[in-house]
Amino acid sequence: MTVNNIWVITDDQNAVGELCDGGRQLGKQVSVILFSDQNRAQEAISSGADQVYLFGQAGESVMIEDYSKSIAELLRAEKADLVLVYSSIRGKLIAGRIATQLGISVLSNVSELTVDDGSIIVKHMVYGGAAIRTEKALTDTVVVTVGSGVFEAMPKDAARQGKVNEINPNVDNAGIRILETRPKQGELVNLSAAKRVVGVGRGFAAQEDLKMAEEFTALVGAEMACSRPIAEGEKWMSKERYVGVSGVVLKPDIYIALGISGQIQHMVGVNHAKTLVAINKDKNAPIFKQVDIGLVGDLYKVLPKIAEKIKAQN
Amino acid sequence: MRVITCCKAVPEAQDIVVTKDRQISIEKAEWKFGQYDLNAVEAGKQIVEAVGGQLSGLCAGGKILDNSKLRKDILSRGLDDLYVVMDEKMEQADTYQSAKVLEAAIQKMGDFDLVLCGAGSSDLYAQQVGNQLGELLGLPVVNAVNKITPEGDKIIVERTVENAIQVLEISLPAVFSVTSEINVPRIAGMKDIIAANKKSVSKFTLSEINADNLPNSSSEILSTMAPEQVDRRLNILEGESDEVIDAFVKLLSAELK
Repeated sequence: MTVNNIWVITDDQNAVGELCDGGRQLGKQVSVILFSDQNRAQEAISSGADQVYLFGQAGESVMIEDYSKSIAELLRAEKADLVLVYSSIRGKLIAGRIATQLGISVLSNVSELTVDDGSIIVKHMVYGGAAIRTEKALTDTVVVTVGSGVFEAMPKDAARQGKVNEINPNVDNAGIRILETRPKQGELVNLSAAKRVVGVGRGFAAQEDLKMAEEFTALVGAEMACSRPIAEGEKWMSKERYVGVSGVVLKPDIYIALGISGQIQHMVGVNHAKTLVAINKDKNAPIFKQVDIGLVGDLYKVLPKIAEKIKAQN
Repeated sequence: MRVITCCKAVPEAQDIVVTKDRQISIEKAEWKFGQYDLNAVEAGKQIVEAVGGQLSGLCAGGKILDNSKLRKDILSRGLDDLYVVMDEKMEQADTYQSAKVLEAAIQKMGDFDLVLCGAGSSDLYAQQVGNQLGELLGLPVVNAVNKITPEGDKIIVERTVENAIQVLEISLPAVFSVTSEINVPRIAGMKDIIAANKKSVSKFTLSEINADNLPNSSSEILSTMAPEQVDRRLNILEGESDEVIDAFVKLLSAELK
């Protein structure tokens, strides 16, 4: 099998550049399915698309996922070799539905994608980050979900030529109606872009104690993040700030873990930090096996002192 | 309302041992139902508590499902009964094969109104079995469901997409994958654990649900290895004295320049 025909599906225009770049690396022809407008389609062509298939908005109450059957038919008719679906929430559902229409599995959340001797090889995390699995795809069409950061977007070239095809999709009568779409409440943070991050964990006994961590975070000019129990168990912080296998993956210059034990599920989110620092009172906490700088001590005692000394320096 | 919650037994990630050359071993790992599945069980329990009905568990897997302690654990979380599909082939099943088997089992289980899955399995976390199951059953299917409100023969859900919340009206039956934030799963009490002993467990083989002809695997596993370790300096200080703090602040400040 040679990989010629690469398809990109995304509901997020920001992902177009990276996925087109991936497509250009892996195959010859890149076709992009978008759910937006002509301007966005032209932008996709500048970003590397040869063809754009524009699935118009059928109505405000219709989910784009309900175009899955039409998309699967298109992929089948055009003999798609590889389908790169952006791993947004809607992207994942589209991927699952079209793969089912094609009678195959989805290779999910891949961190690396290569073509070796005509076969598509993917890598992805398993066992909560404890292992990386490498798999060879066996199907004629391969459906994968890919997040941002796997490929690097090429610079846009406004002179690139491509074709825009407008599709009037059939909408499956799936029994779902969108009644309302409202912006998410609360803060929007982009931790994955932060250069300095302070993470807090179970070492904090009460929500009001996080104040101490907030002050320290501000002092060192960082963003604040947390482990899963703080966001989902205690709900002391928003899910956007939760770092780990099912949360955000960071790439900061420095990550300072306060009262975090270092379970693998958390560490996969911070392993890319250039420098890892931890403060924890438990000398045997797994985090001390993987830090650059560590301090074994009660953070209630040491953190105020550290803050004082840093303040004195500034 | 009859709710079916799908669950998967997985080896505990923290018990996985790295042997030489980044090989891993799950031989000594304890098996448990996935943490995200517990949110789906809890969501199902809250629905039947609110509107009445029955909550059935469904799991498919290898011979580990013969472990009665494991089964009792999931039953004690609020299930009324449990359906188990056990076959060695399920140990390496991919998302489509898993969805096919669950579909076949659900057809055997009789009428239902809602199928719930977790955000993903705790071992592979492909987050696709629920989506593929819904499409196979030809039913409304939604992932990232963060709130469920039954309303007669319909259901209103809130779905968290990246920067927005969609409010959806969905006809039943339907298939949902819930988020890990939808609820905090209850902890089983002694009474629940004792009651779990008396709950019915129905066991099926693949042929008993007419699923022995699994579709071909979509992929071949080439390797499963521990990630490459990042070399860290391991400069670890211990103590709460001024001297220790000074030394730590010096190291930290050098990094913050």
